[in-house]
Amino acid sequence: MIRLQNVTKTYKRGGDDEVIALNDVSLEIDKGEFVFIVGPSGSGKSTFMKLLTREQLVDSGELWVAGKDLNAIRSWKIPALRRDIGYVFQDFKLLPNKSVRENVAFALEVIGKSRREIDIRVPEVLELVGIEEKADAMPHELSGGQQQRVSVARAFVNSPRILLCDEPTGNLDPSTSVGIMKLLDRINRTGATVVMATHDQHIVDSMRRRVVELENGVVVRDQSRGVYGYAG
Amino acid sequence: MPARWRYILSEAGKGLRRNVLMTVAVILSITVSLTLLGATLLLRDQIDLATDDWVDQVEVSIFLCDGETCPAITPEQEDQLREDLEAQPVVDEVLYESKEEAYERFTELFQDQPNLVEAVEPDILPASFRVSLVDPDEFLVIAQQFEAYPGVEDIIDQREVLTQFLNFTRIVRNGALAVALIQLAAAALLIGNTILMSAFARREQTSIMKLVGASNWYIRLPFFLEAVITGVLGAVVSWGLLYVVVPRVTEGLSAQVLLMPFIGVREVWEAAPVLLASGFGIAAFSSIIALWFFQDS
Repeated sequence: MIRLQNVTKTYKRGGDDEVIALNDVSLEIDKGEFVFIVGPSGSGKSTFMKLLTREQLVDSGELWVAGKDLNAIRSWKIPALRRDIGYVFQDFKLLPNKSVRENVAFALEVIGKSRREIDIRVPEVLELVGIEEKADAMPHELSGGQQQRVSVARAFVNSPRILLCDEPTGNLDPSTSVGIMKLLDRINRTGATVVMATHDQHIVDSMRRRVVELENGVVVRDQSRGVYGYAG
Repeated sequence: MPARWRYILSEAGKGLRRNVLMTVAVILSITVSLTLLGATLLLRDQIDLATDDWVDQVEVSIFLCDGETCPAITPEQEDQLREDLEAQPVVDEVLYESKEEAYERFTELFQDQPNLVEAVEPDILPASFRVSLVDPDEFLVIAQQFEAYPGVEDIIDQREVLTQFLNFTRIVRNGALAVALIQLAAAALLIGNTILMSAFARREQTSIMKLVGASNWYIRLPFFLEAVITGVLGAVVSWGLLYVVVPRVTEGLSAQVLLMPFIGVREVWEAAPVLLASGFGIAAFSSIIALWFFQDS
C-alpha cells in the first residue's frame, strides 16, 4: 500500500545550511496494517506524512502510495491520490462555521458526490465514530475528543484505503485518547491501512502494533507488535 | 442545480459579501477604467464618422479677386482658369461659388450666431472655385500651377483645417486611452489583491479541500467567479454611464455644431461587447495570476 525505497528529503535553511529530514529511508507498509511512526520532534515524522499526501516531493528515492508512483504523478491527478487517503490532524481542523454534519458532508461535497450519496454516507460514518447525536452541534460546542471523532469521520467518510493520523491524541487527555484509539482500531478492522505519527508512549505500548521509530531522519527500529521505547 | 455548482456559487457569493467595501471598491475601479476606455472607443467612432463625412466634402478653394486687395478678375481670366482647372488630370470636379452663394452658405453655417452674420456684408465674401481632387494629396500640384494666375487671390487646402482638428482629437483620445490603461492596470492589481485576501481568509477551508482531494478547479472556481462577477458588474455600470451620458452630450453638440455628424446610441450599443469582454478579461486574468500565486504558497 505504501512503499519507500531509499527516500531522502532535505530542507534548505538559509544559505548552504541543509537539514536532512529523511535520510535514505526504505519502508514497506502493507494493505490493512496499523503502523505507529514514533520518534522525537524533528525526527522526520511530519515530513514522512507530507510526502505521502504529495504535499512535498522526495529529493531522491522512490515512493509509491496506493499503487501510484508519487515521483511521476501528474499534478492534476494528485486530487485522485488524496481521495484514497484520509487525514486526521492533531488540532482537528474542523470548519468553525459548519455543524458536525456539514463538516463531514463538506469532504464529499467538494469532490463532487451527489446529494443522495452524501445523505446516505454521512449518518453512517457519524454512527461509526459514535457522534450521531451531536450531528447538528457546532464544533465549539464539542469536547476535544468529540471534535477529534468528527475529524476522523471526515477523514473516513469517503472510505479511503489509507488513514493518516498526525498526532491524533496530541491534544487529548489519556482517557479520551483511548476512545479515539478504539475508533482507529475499528476503522483499521474495516480494511483501511492506518498510519499514525505519535509521541504518546502509553498508547503505543497498549496497542501492540507495528512500530517504526525515526531518529534524525533514519529508521532506527521497525518492530511488529512493538512498544514505544526500547523495551529490551 | 447540482450540489457542486450550488457550492461554488454560494462560496463566490460569500466572498463578495465578506468584504462589501472591498467589492464596491473593485467595482468602482473597474467602472472608472472601463468608462474611460469606452469613451476613447466612442471618440474614435466620432473621429471616423466626422472624417468620413468631411473627406467627401473637402476640397481646394481658389478664391477670386474682387478688386478689394487685388485687381478684380475679368470674365476672360475666369473662363481661362476654369478651362485649365478642368484640363488638369488631378482635378475631379470644379464648382463655381458666386459671392451670393458664399454669403448664403455662410449665413446657413452660422445661423446660431446672428451677431456674426450681421457683421458680415453680403458682398465681402469672395467668389471661388471649389475644386475637388481625385487624390486629395495632390493639393500642391494645384497650388503651384494656379497661384500665379491673374485674378487668383488665394488657394486654400481645406484638408489642412481638418487635419489640425483631427490631430487635436487624436491627442485627446490617446491621452484618455493612456489614463484608461493605467486605471485598468490599477484595477487588475486591486482585483488580484482582493482575490488573494479572499483566498487567505478561507485558507483553512481550502487546505482541507486540498487534503480531501478536491480538484484544483473546484477550489479555485469560487474565487475566479468572485473576480469575474465584480469585473462584469463594473463593465455593466460603466456601459450604463456611457449609455446615459454620451447620447445626451452628442445630441446637445449636434444642435450647436452643424459642421459634422455625431455618434448616437447605436455606437454606445456597439461598445457594449468590448466593455464586457474587457471587464471579464481583466478580472479573469488577474484572478488567475493571483490564484496561481496562492496555490503555490
